[in-house]
Amino acid sequence: MSARGLRAGELVVDLDVFHGPFDLLVTLVLREEVDLWEVSVSHIIADYVVRLADSQEFDLEATSQFVVLVAALLEMKSRLLLDLDELGGGDEVTVEEAGEELLAALVRYQQHRSAGDWLKARWAENAARIYRQAPLPARFRCADAGAERLPAAMLATALAPLLREPPLPDASHITDVALTLLVELRRLRSLLASDGGFTFLSVAPRDRLEKAVTFFALLELHNRGEVRLHQSRAFADITVTAVHAEAALTG
Amino acid sequence: MVWPANDPPCSLTDPLSIADLARRVEAVLFVASRPVPATEVAQACTADQAVAERALALLAEEFAETRHGFELREVAGGFTFVVARDCEAAVEAFAGARRPDDLSPALMETLSVVAYLQPTTRAEVARVRGVSSEWALGSLEERGLVEECGRADAPGSPILFGTTARFLTLFGLRSLGDLPPLEGFAPSADDVEELRDRLVAHADRRRP
Repeated sequence: MSARGLRAGELVVDLDVFHGPFDLLVTLVLREEVDLWEVSVSHIIADYVVRLADSQEFDLEATSQFVVLVAALLEMKSRLLLDLDELGGGDEVTVEEAGEELLAALVRYQQHRSAGDWLKARWAENAARIYRQAPLPARFRCADAGAERLPAAMLATALAPLLREPPLPDASHITDVALTLLVELRRLRSLLASDGGFTFLSVAPRDRLEKAVTFFALLELHNRGEVRLHQSRAFADITVTAVHAEAALTG
Repeated sequence: MVWPANDPPCSLTDPLSIADLARRVEAVLFVASRPVPATEVAQACTADQAVAERALALLAEEFAETRHGFELREVAGGFTFVVARDCEAAVEAFAGARRPDDLSPALMETLSVVAYLQPTTRAEVARVRGVSSEWALGSLEERGLVEECGRADAPGSPILFGTTARFLTLFGLRSLGDLPPLEGFAPSADDVEELRDRLVAHADRRRP
């Protein structure tokens, strides 16, 4: 029996901006649907190491896949430190230009860090000072309404709209998600039963939210051992094959 | 606020006049619940600004440290009374005043970015610090040290942040002009060169 290590898709990431499988997080980051600034890579790595220690199994392939994905995230994040628009675009930046830009960013950060130390000293000296904070005496807080008094009827007319119940907001433009995970699982199983397999892009709906539901359903089928997933190269279409279809082919 | 204009105008050269004006300024500052700019003091006392500033200087001398239980201080764009340092313990015992919680180095860094670059966006703060600053900005907003001050004229109209009057008060600043120039915090040429050498050495180690 071969060791079954912790695969990237099995690691459930729990961040403020995302909760779900780690490989789905990477996909959403690549599509710029999750802000990479908000993703704590150290948190993800710590979670993975703890889960790996708990599982007491080690799969070189699974761990290598995780390391590759995390390294990709770190490289993308390090690129965010460079103002690539100012440098004229990502692909045309030379190593020297990137190095100088990174140096400028580090110097800028160091300035603000030192300024923070200066503020800390000012805080230590001044934050505890007790200033006069007594409110203005009550009789000075009454504003003079002016020489002409407002008629009571006019005031009532002006205030009346504030007492009316506001209308309920129109939410008709917000539609419910038509596709649920259970429905999508049934659809994909039906396709697998009839065709034995398909590619992700050929079955994924156009709507982004529904596409994500289809992807979740695919991951669920994979976790249950009902399908095999194959990708010829990074970010290419995913070929899905039913396990029973593969077994039939291999006899 | 408009005060009754029935006081005689004050002379810059008459010491009695200045002393009398100082008493009126003292009364205004006594009832004020916030630091009062010299212009407002002058308007309230129907005096020229130069004369009002002389009177304020006289008051500051009168309330200099150790002569009274409080001092006159210019902070956050105006003048106000502050308890003398050696009397703070007594006031804290009486009123139960608590010192504000200290700020972490991360919050000080974030605050310095906002103070020097304001108005600035959350993304710009993150770009300078190299990490997400959403939590830090939220914490500083809760403490009343930064506030939203509009939206940038850029795609997505991101929110702009700036410091508050409370920031000036807690750091003992008269205005943002009291912040030292950011250039003064730049690392020395030797430090920059050392940083460059370390980056190059690191890149060389990674080359195949």
